[in-house]
Amino acid sequence: MGKVCRFVVVAVLAAAALSRPARAQPDAEPLAPEPAAPQAPDQGPPPDQGPPLDPGPPPGPDPSLDPAVDPALDPADPAAFGPVMTIESIAITGNRSTAERVIRRALPIAVGDVVRASDPRLTQARWKVLALGFFREVKLELRRGTARGQVILVVTVLERGTVVLNRLWFGTSSTSSWWLGTDLEERNFAGTGIGVGAGFVYAPRNDVIGSRDQWAGEVRIADAVLGASRWGARAAFTVEHGSDPYRVAGDHSTSPDDFRAFSYRRLGGRAAATFSVTPLSRVVIGGRFEAVTAELPTGATRSLPDGQSLPVRFELRDGHSRIATVSLAFDRDTRPNPALPREGSHLALAAEAGASIIGGSYDYATIVARYDRWWPIRDRQAIALRLAGGVAAGDAPRFDRIYVGDVDRMVAPRALGLALTTGTSAAILGTAAGEVDTGNIGGAAIVEWSLQLFHRKHRIYGGDIFVGAGLWGLGDTRGSGVAGRTSWQALPIDVVADAGLRIDTEIGIFELSLANALGRVAQ
Amino acid sequence: MKAAIAVAIAVAIAAPSRVHADDDDDDSPVQAQRMRFAERGDSLVVTADLTRIFDSEAYEALDNGFPSTVVIRMWVYREGGAPVAAQLLSRRVVYDVWDEVYDVRLDGPGGRISKKVKFRAEALKLLTNLDGVPIARKSVIPYQDHFVLAIEAELNPISAETMAEVRRWLFQGTGSGLDRGGSLFGSFVSVFVNPQFAAADRVIRVQSQPFFRPRP
Repeated sequence: MGKVCRFVVVAVLAAAALSRPARAQPDAEPLAPEPAAPQAPDQGPPPDQGPPLDPGPPPGPDPSLDPAVDPALDPADPAAFGPVMTIESIAITGNRSTAERVIRRALPIAVGDVVRASDPRLTQARWKVLALGFFREVKLELRRGTARGQVILVVTVLERGTVVLNRLWFGTSSTSSWWLGTDLEERNFAGTGIGVGAGFVYAPRNDVIGSRDQWAGEVRIADAVLGASRWGARAAFTVEHGSDPYRVAGDHSTSPDDFRAFSYRRLGGRAAATFSVTPLSRVVIGGRFEAVTAELPTGATRSLPDGQSLPVRFELRDGHSRIATVSLAFDRDTRPNPALPREGSHLALAAEAGASIIGGSYDYATIVARYDRWWPIRDRQAIALRLAGGVAAGDAPRFDRIYVGDVDRMVAPRALGLALTTGTSAAILGTAAGEVDTGNIGGAAIVEWSLQLFHRKHRIYGGDIFVGAGLWGLGDTRGSGVAGRTSWQALPIDVVADAGLRIDTEIGIFELSLANALGRVAQ
Repeated sequence: MKAAIAVAIAVAIAAPSRVHADDDDDDSPVQAQRMRFAERGDSLVVTADLTRIFDSEAYEALDNGFPSTVVIRMWVYREGGAPVAAQLLSRRVVYDVWDEVYDVRLDGPGGRISKKVKFRAEALKLLTNLDGVPIARKSVIPYQDHFVLAIEAELNPISAETMAEVRRWLFQGTGSGLDRGGSLFGSFVSVFVNPQFAAADRVIRVQSQPFFRPRP
């Protein structure tokens, strides 16, 4: 019985060991006598200053993979050990649909390379192939080649399904009985490593005068890696048959009577080249051309609460017009686990300029940016700062301006470019932020706390609950001209709060949030 | 009302997940392990066996010609208090497919030792046996006070940067351009076959029985 009690006490202590010190134990053991065995050759006396209290990060594999530097072959290099080998050939097995060249170009080593066994490129090879996203498992093995010192690299892969459901659009609003759409993608089309995707969304005509059935579609193709280079390419073709609502009366109301809609059509394409600056960051250089046909009402005005009437700005040319732009974007994502982030950061910057000299009808520029940063704190918790914002300067077309759903989580964002709600925010503070559905400057700043509920290997890998709150703002620097308001009421900011659950599972990643739910239901 | 429904859905999904997690948790719970402590010179040393960090698959993989790495972190805790000492060991092995020997490299408080052994079992022993490893100076272990030793051992850990690279494709598809709200500003939901990759092949966490230095 005593042994059982002792075992239970030790087991309880063990469960708390690495997170907090154990409690006092009455059955502590004295140190053993000096061991009779000789000291192990790998363990010398402790350093004079004693061991550090923090062992620090593991001296694990070197993440740097600069092929120009090859310290592993330098016998004087302290990190080098193991035999020096020449890669005689590379054998790939298990790839039923993926082309061998797709795997070969992902490997950081090639036939003829001379490497030491400790070369970080060898250590990283498995992860480089896994990073393609096409395989469930990758195993590497070195076998003897035809001559001493030569080896055959055997790569065994286990493929997985590569069809991805990127988006699912659905919901209802006071002005649209329902909308539905999806975006699917095959990341490894016919085993070529090329991604092909398509999306479609449909929303029937609603009660707003002037509205019509809306639908939009998009097809995309992308090759993340061209040959063995760090360049990639992608292109997309889009068509949109929409009707955008605009407010003609009321303040924060969502009644269809306070809105009208105009019809438009967009037809165009985008093309871009990507360049991987580092494994975690890339630059995208692109261009876009669209033909827009809009049927704008003449003399449309909005009646303001103070009795004024203002002309409605549609931010589009009536009839036919063109959008032609060039763009530059940068993306750096250091989150070890983007699904349930607890550390790292994600920075995304995108600038786009449209000009008549390249064939467009609109001279304008937009800059949008996003920065998310997570800090782990104790007991499986993390704090995140999430910033996003954008500016549109010049004669930016309506679709390129900041939409309220971009910055207010509680309003459904555009789906493939279609506005599916009236774009009216909750206006919690009663400020001017809710008066504009598109602006030329906007952003959001949110502080988010998350707690890891569980983490495991199979089926449902992990789940976090999160709670966040912050401010969002959307304004038009030209102003709405509403008279008689206090400075506070004129501020184009409002509060936003959100809470929910993120789940990382064997079949994908899901985020169930309160704000997202509110954006999908009639308000 | 809608908010209440949304919260209820979230709680309903979260609750069973939490319950289920208790019997399938991957957070490598700390296990008790009997260890041997002794004084050697100015140091407190430990002798323990961490062989179970290798399962049969990892043991077989010692022959694949690629390096295997074991990183061992140790903390000496005063009972009811903070750690008073810590130690870090890194051990690597690679099989030479031509000479048919295991090249072992051990890094620890005594510096670096390189050895070549003929048999896989010998390599395993060098990687996982703690044989009189110094864990603290005796001066930080007062007589009669009770301490425990906690050990975390990782097999083939990878850096956070590598893990970020492996998972980055999740967010880099063919790229949609018309949805600013869903890309630059919005949240992310995606459905796909989603294999899980751990930050290390295996991790074990063990804690010793309490011990103390008897007054001479």
